[in-house]
Amino acid sequence: MPGGGWLVYLGIGNPASARLSSVVRGTMTNVDQFESVFRAAAKEIYVPRPVALRRVLCLHDLDGPELDAFEACVRKFLEVLREAIDWSFVSATEFTDLDALLKQMEERSPDLILTYRGLLSEGRGWVYSLGEYLDVLTQTAPFPVLVVPHPADEDAWVGRQPELCRTMALTDHLAGESRLVDWAHRFTKVEGGVLFLAHIEDEFTFERFIQAISKIPAIDTEVARETVQTQLLKEPTDYIESCRKVLLDRGEHIETHGIVRMGKRLDAVRSLVSQHRVDLIVMNTKDDDQLAMHGLAYPLAVELRGVAILML
Amino acid sequence: MVSMSFLASLSLSTMEWGASGSSTPSMEEGHDVSLGITLCFSAVLLGLICCLAFEEKLHAKKSVIVGVFAALSLFLGAWFQLLPYGPYEIGGHPIDLPVYIPAIDWNVIAIILGSSLFVDITSKSGLFTWIAVRLTKASGGDPVKLLIYYGWMTVVFSAVLNNVTAMIIIGSLTGVSLRKLGRENLLLGFLLTEGLLTNIGGLLTLISSVPNILVGTAANIGFVTFFLKASPYVLVATTITLWMGARRFRILGLVNDAQRQEAKQLVSGFDENDGIESSGIFWFGAIMLALFIATIASTSYLPLIRDLKMGYVALLFAVIMLVRYRATADRFYQAVDWDLLGFFAGLFVVINVMEHALVLDLIGGGLRRIIALGEASGAGLILVTSAAASSVTDNIPLAAMLSKILSATEGVGGDPSSPFWWSVIFGANLGGNLTPIGSASTLVAVTIIHKYNLKLTFVDFVRTALPFAAVHVGLATVYVLVFLG
Repeated sequence: MPGGGWLVYLGIGNPASARLSSVVRGTMTNVDQFESVFRAAAKEIYVPRPVALRRVLCLHDLDGPELDAFEACVRKFLEVLREAIDWSFVSATEFTDLDALLKQMEERSPDLILTYRGLLSEGRGWVYSLGEYLDVLTQTAPFPVLVVPHPADEDAWVGRQPELCRTMALTDHLAGESRLVDWAHRFTKVEGGVLFLAHIEDEFTFERFIQAISKIPAIDTEVARETVQTQLLKEPTDYIESCRKVLLDRGEHIETHGIVRMGKRLDAVRSLVSQHRVDLIVMNTKDDDQLAMHGLAYPLAVELRGVAILML
Repeated sequence: MVSMSFLASLSLSTMEWGASGSSTPSMEEGHDVSLGITLCFSAVLLGLICCLAFEEKLHAKKSVIVGVFAALSLFLGAWFQLLPYGPYEIGGHPIDLPVYIPAIDWNVIAIILGSSLFVDITSKSGLFTWIAVRLTKASGGDPVKLLIYYGWMTVVFSAVLNNVTAMIIIGSLTGVSLRKLGRENLLLGFLLTEGLLTNIGGLLTLISSVPNILVGTAANIGFVTFFLKASPYVLVATTITLWMGARRFRILGLVNDAQRQEAKQLVSGFDENDGIESSGIFWFGAIMLALFIATIASTSYLPLIRDLKMGYVALLFAVIMLVRYRATADRFYQAVDWDLLGFFAGLFVVINVMEHALVLDLIGGGLRRIIALGEASGAGLILVTSAAASSVTDNIPLAAMLSKILSATEGVGGDPSSPFWWSVIFGANLGGNLTPIGSASTLVAVTIIHKYNLKLTFVDFVRTALPFAAVHVGLATVYVLVFLG
């Protein structure tokens, strides 16, 4: 019917030329508009999967009463796991080098490695890294690593005998991150525990895009700012709702709070952790495309020295 | 009066021509047009058809092309003194109108303008996306159920909205949902089947497609009659198309509980309420749509409304919807397809001049020979040739021309039950299924297919669609001859 379309079409094999049809030009915007509506309607939903946590390997470089205190502390901290844990406490000093240590880890194949900042590190007093062993371990170990403050740190995490009550799943892309929520939920007390699901959208990156948009006459900057920001924050908000619903449907009345906001990520997280007195942060840290930790994970792990961090 | 029967469908034209009687020259009265002049105008008409076919090469909109030919036709008509100038009598009063104004079928223009405005505003309520998402969830993500639901939804949306809008909505949803289900390999089959179904759905009601409006109003077929006569075919053709589509594109159902559970979980993520701005607007849109369909369906039975005709109903509902969005009404005006409306206006003018130049009589002579073959052979032949013609050219001029010629044909004009009308309606609509450029909606389907980087050339389309089109046209021929003859 749209006469002449066939001529364009016969310039064939080239779909781009076919797209030139005037009918198509007139309707493509609508196709995109409706696709946008349906894409927005196709929300990520939380699909829980069980987290198996039976074998925990605790890696340390302590001995004597220090080790006893630390062991008691972590056992208490992980009472939240609600099942019999097969603990193994392994001294990292038994291994000649990191390779040997990693090999041993793989052979034991734990469900979780628990250790602390500055493990076997000569520069433990320096606050600029996790320590050379832990830097490598967190990235190479194929198991989640729970990093707690060093037993001898000034704020005396061990001495406080911390209880795990307030857990925060933290990311800059929460929608669809079921595994992150599964783990955070697994580390949250059923009675009296609080689960925070936090999504911090990086304000700096957002502003860079808005600045680029502000130089494009075809796009209204204020409309773009408002609509993009709304959509960016809507997705994690909807996902948190889905998490809440699933947990409620399962009859679990864990107090769940959603936190979705723009912010300068490190500052925002610092403030959230302190404001909500978070005991454990759960984060994705591995990135298939790079050797270094994923996004914000490393700076947070380094800077938030007084908080336990579970690195997935 | 040859010209009168076509114009009888127009409120303005009916009054003008009917009242003026001898004051306006008819074709029969002005029959001293030489064959040379008729052939000259035939060349102009042929030129218009060629230019529409080469629209893309000319880089010109349809309305501009037809506008140029309308201006040329009027000028030549004036030159050869063929045009029936006013003043025209309307309601007993002489009114001076430019000759090209009464040439335009304003009822058709009003239906298209009113309907498109109404549908555009109603779609903003989120009603159509709500229905689409609900059906997606109801399918549980099963591909066969999804094909059946989307197929019927395509047919109903094509009937209620228009083919192009229906294809855009269902095509967009198909892309999103099949991706969500990880079934991208079925996209081509789904989109092609839906594209073909838009033209079947376009047959369902009098206002579902432009050829229906043109032929239906010329034949004076009522909305309800049209629906009752067309719906059995639509029902059977849709069922067969879905069955053929499932077989041809190997669309299979889910076989075990694990698959069903996974698919159900994936589609459960769709939120039908996401596109709804407010429940008030949603319900307003739903109620207005139901009222619109009910009023359109009963136009010929409603006092006062009956005389104001269907175009008034369409405009009335558009205005009511605009009142709801009164502060931002102008944004809906931008969405109106002014090119299509300009195209129609120009086309009506060209055809009117062709009528006075006896070009339609010339074409009608050939058509009358086909009609003379009898209701069986003649109607069948018209259906098949209309389908063939509209598969490669615009079905709107075809429908407009044929309806005008049939109006002037003894034994057909004035007889809404004649099978020849239905031959044109079925042929003009179903021809679009033979080639990707046969209808705007199939072209949209192909465009969405290409958008997803799926390879489908012109030849691929024809090869794939040919069995479907053959079944559709064959079935229509049998249906028209057996049940509408």
